[in-house]
Amino acid sequence: MNSTPTHLERPTTNNEPFIVFDHIEKAFFGVKVLKGVSFGVGVGRIVGLVGENGAGKSTLMNLLGGNLQPDAGELRVNDQHYAPRHSNDARNAGIAFVHQELNLFPNLSIAENLYLTDFPRIRPAGTSGRADARRSGLPWINRRALRAQSVELLRQVGLDLSPDTLVERLPAGERQLVEIAKALGANARALILDEPTTSLSSPECERLFILATQLRDRGIAIIYISHALGDVLRLCNDLVVLRDGEMVGGGPTQDFTHDRLVSLMVGRQLNQLYPERRSPARPEPNETENVPGRKPALQVERVSQPGIVRDISFSLAAGEVLGLSGLMGAGRSELARILFGLDPCASGEIRLNGENLTGAPRRRIQRGLAFLTEDRRQEGLCLEASIADNMALVTLPSNSRSPVRFLDYTRINSAVKRMREAVKLSPKAADTQAVRTLSGGNQQKVVLGKWLLAKPKVLILDEPTRGIDVGAKSEIYRLIYQLADRGAGVLVISSELEELVGLCDRILVMRHGEISGEFRRDSFDREKILAAALHFLKK
Amino acid sequence: MSNLVGSDLFVLFLCGITFAAFAPFTPIFVTPANLANILIGCLPLLLLATGQTLVLITGGIDLSVTAIIGLSSVVGALVMGGDQGWLQGSPIAMPVAMASMLATGALVGLFNGACIAWLRMPAFMVTLTTTMFFSGLSVWLAKKVVNSESIYNLPPAFLAFGTHAWLALLMAVIATLLAHLLLARTLLGRWLYAVGHNPRTSLISGVPVGGVTVGAYVFSGVFAALASILLTAQLETGSPNHGKTLLLDVIGAAVIGGTSLFGGKGKVLWTVYGVLFLSLLGNGLNLLNVSDFLITIVKGAVILVAALLDVWRTKFVRGP
Amino acid sequence: MNLRITFSPTFFTAAFAIVALALTGCGKSDSGAANSSTSSSTSAAPDQVKTIGVAFETLQTEFWVAAFDKLKADCAAKGITMLEGVADGDASKQFDQVRNFINRKVDGIIIVPKDGKTVIPMIKAANAANIPVVLYNRPADPTDAKHTAVAPDNFAITKETVTYLVSLAKKTGKKQKAMILLGDLGDVNAIGRRDGFEAAIKDAGEAVEVVARIPTDWNQEKALAGVQSAMQANPDIGLIFTSSDFMFPSIKSVLSNLGKWKKHNEPGHIILGGFDGDATAYQLMAEGYVDATGVQDVYWEAEQAIQVIIAAKDGQISPTRIDDQGFAITQANLKEMESRMWGAVVATKKK
Repeated sequence: MNSTPTHLERPTTNNEPFIVFDHIEKAFFGVKVLKGVSFGVGVGRIVGLVGENGAGKSTLMNLLGGNLQPDAGELRVNDQHYAPRHSNDARNAGIAFVHQELNLFPNLSIAENLYLTDFPRIRPAGTSGRADARRSGLPWINRRALRAQSVELLRQVGLDLSPDTLVERLPAGERQLVEIAKALGANARALILDEPTTSLSSPECERLFILATQLRDRGIAIIYISHALGDVLRLCNDLVVLRDGEMVGGGPTQDFTHDRLVSLMVGRQLNQLYPERRSPARPEPNETENVPGRKPALQVERVSQPGIVRDISFSLAAGEVLGLSGLMGAGRSELARILFGLDPCASGEIRLNGENLTGAPRRRIQRGLAFLTEDRRQEGLCLEASIADNMALVTLPSNSRSPVRFLDYTRINSAVKRMREAVKLSPKAADTQAVRTLSGGNQQKVVLGKWLLAKPKVLILDEPTRGIDVGAKSEIYRLIYQLADRGAGVLVISSELEELVGLCDRILVMRHGEISGEFRRDSFDREKILAAALHFLKK
Repeated sequence: MSNLVGSDLFVLFLCGITFAAFAPFTPIFVTPANLANILIGCLPLLLLATGQTLVLITGGIDLSVTAIIGLSSVVGALVMGGDQGWLQGSPIAMPVAMASMLATGALVGLFNGACIAWLRMPAFMVTLTTTMFFSGLSVWLAKKVVNSESIYNLPPAFLAFGTHAWLALLMAVIATLLAHLLLARTLLGRWLYAVGHNPRTSLISGVPVGGVTVGAYVFSGVFAALASILLTAQLETGSPNHGKTLLLDVIGAAVIGGTSLFGGKGKVLWTVYGVLFLSLLGNGLNLLNVSDFLITIVKGAVILVAALLDVWRTKFVRGP
Repeated sequence: MNLRITFSPTFFTAAFAIVALALTGCGKSDSGAANSSTSSSTSAAPDQVKTIGVAFETLQTEFWVAAFDKLKADCAAKGITMLEGVADGDASKQFDQVRNFINRKVDGIIIVPKDGKTVIPMIKAANAANIPVVLYNRPADPTDAKHTAVAPDNFAITKETVTYLVSLAKKTGKKQKAMILLGDLGDVNAIGRRDGFEAAIKDAGEAVEVVARIPTDWNQEKALAGVQSAMQANPDIGLIFTSSDFMFPSIKSVLSNLGKWKKHNEPGHIILGGFDGDATAYQLMAEGYVDATGVQDVYWEAEQAIQVIIAAKDGQISPTRIDDQGFAITQANLKEMESRMWGAVVATKKK
């Protein structure tokens, strides 16, 4: 496993590089974030850009997009010197970004989103067909042209929808295609896709890959940034690996394997992504029901909510890591919210340690339930608040003294300090820093730390490693095991089958609001699990 | 310099500058009598702004404080004064009246909070309509019982809050101190900030968001009632019209102090400085014979600048 | 470490609180010192009146503007500096302004209070500082606080005005329906005018019946709405009295829309009367739409107010009440009396 930096020469085929990064350097406050990165993105090629968070990928893209300027080195687009100062410069150069957090307006229609900055105008008679036709004309929107052009763009990305549909009605996958259509509408010649598959279901991912390949064949240069190494290996023609601001590997995809990529990214052998489970006291999952007197941590019996979930029954043992798999829309997150008390449940019973669980989230937290939600920015964190404030939030009541509930700041601060070390939160971040400034992985650690401080008996995690780099993922798995070894039951919802297979003792599969399959570790079969997600698997 | 701008003491610093700026032009400004005057005059504003700070921290706003002043003034006066005062002449008149004034403030706050927290109505809308409702109610109440808008003959013990400045100051200081302690040192304080930052996260993290929101408005209502006690005592009359013009000053003082209108940020101490600054400014301009209308314009401009400054401070000090 | 303590917010607050408490103690004793110095200088030699503080409740109508301007002009003529304050209906703001005047050691304070009760503590505060107080146009409620009120006899003037209106009604030979626009009943003037109206109507006996009493609280919008609904309910109202001339535009608007805005010698004319004697009333009377209005002598009252303060500087104490006699100006005596009507003066000045 060679980890010395290599430079990517001009691609061997006759695809000329559309974008060239030439010895790019950038430093913030004296700290070098990019240390001389050089590679090219060819016309009609998909280049995969991988690296842990903090490796420099976002900085590189910010340079490309005109939000930052390099300290040294040169950017070239289409063989010309390219020094954007503003996002408009990037757009004019034909470079389009599709970010992880989509830039669409949910309250507007597809057509309006596509043409927001560039509505086709009513043109005075006789001027149609001019080169700058879209920008000229009276300041009234030409609705007919708008619709026609939108339909055309949607066709190019394979979406068969009315352009008047409001974006808020679209699922994540289709929204992303709209975003890509927007890029095409701006006559993009290069497309940068940043973590495009995090919110997508499997069929939606497939659709995206097909589209990307089509666009590539049409001559568009694509930079594909993703943590899903499997996808990257499948889709991309060339790969670039960044670590700590340097390019530590690059070349055609066939030169790389999954393991090699991981070790390049992390800089060490990481054959143990999923740490060994060391607890000998871990009960065998199929013993739980048969052992008299041992109460499972969580019992769910015939929970139903019309239109959402139907007849859900399962139990979670203390010390068990239970996975919940399924496609987007199968009802997993909805089930989690019902278990936590955020959404109502029409019938059925939920029992924690043998006793009925009812009431608002607050009550359930007091009983020992914890819930790490899917959307950490909107529901897991107070972005503008400090790390300490966020971490202490759930356990504040237990750190306060009656009757007036004065807070024991000493205790709170020391608890936060210990938890920071336990989750290995980046030591560079000060306790008083706003969590908004942290990377995705560190943010998730703050949320997890917040729940761990409450010493929960049952922890539900919904997509805990989404949008997080490999190193942080490993940390989170370790913490999950630690928690389970201490006797808590853990329910992990994830769309990454690999993750569940590597992590869990048992996997439940949901489909259309019902449990469609159950698999124990000794009989994990990826294909069967996927099948259960797609069709019902008779036991 | 950036340390100073971003620090808690920035507005206090501004007060110092204002002081220094006015002093050479109007020597009366710095006399103890004038300063005492400013101090006593700003107490109702201080109480109102402190209550408002708590509401602002949760990301809401309470526009009904002036109506609460009027209503509790009338209620208190009806209990202890006037010709037909319920308890007029009785030794427990004053404490009962004051308690009923505070209760009025609390009940209106409860109503506001309930509509906002549980009926999910926007704070602006709710408190705007409660202003109309309760100020109308206070006029109706006064007219129905004593057939006039002013109720007088209040017990001398109560009037002491107006005639004895130290009593008013003591009450205001204690109230403000309690508010500060609540915000900085108690569970409820942290919860207020959390709800202001992100109510969804707070709910999921076990914060009783509804209860906290209601609490903030009840608090604001009680503090408005305290302000009403001072105003009623100073003017020796129970009236639905006290403090009508104070609303914008209240919110302005909080914003100048640094409390954010978007929630999650604010401190009682900042509001104190904001009130001080606004009062110094108004008084100084007054002594310079600037006409009232011009003073209003200046104050408005200052509040606008404060709001802009707030955005700049956040960006500049915290970074991108 | 020391620096930390010095600049901590707690330190500042504590320091501040101590200073504040000291000041409030100081403030009282200081005004006490000022007391003695003022009285000693008064007894030594009659000083010039140098400054007068004028605190008005509002400048919303012609009447108040005319009064304000007259005070300003008189002060300028006598070389007195006039400090201004307008409270916009807020009693506590007015109190602030009065306190400011006291601090600046003015030689006299002229107040137009919003209501007769809230002004009493203000007068007491001025008494404590030995500064003479004049209430302009609106008296205070009965109190032992030392002051002088210069005000019209609203009752008498209104009764005189309405008696004339009633006589016009009697001349029509039919029983007339009447409407009165009431002022803010917290204002003693409004009460006086209402009582004058009712007394005159009572004397009229069967000839006039009051069908509408509109509470306007001195608010133009309320007046408009009130008159509109009253005219809808009683389309045959033949006599309207407004407690203040500034509401005539509302009345004109409603009556014009109904086609009932007629001059006094035209058929269908509604008998119209008011109070104040402002320029609008003068105009409307000159044109013949308005039949009568009660005139208070704004200018005379202003002169008297300043006079009281000058006299006080000389050590003379003025009576608690100085009456503005006023009179009713009617179509009958318009020509001979118009020179005494301040509204006429203002109107002619504008031309």
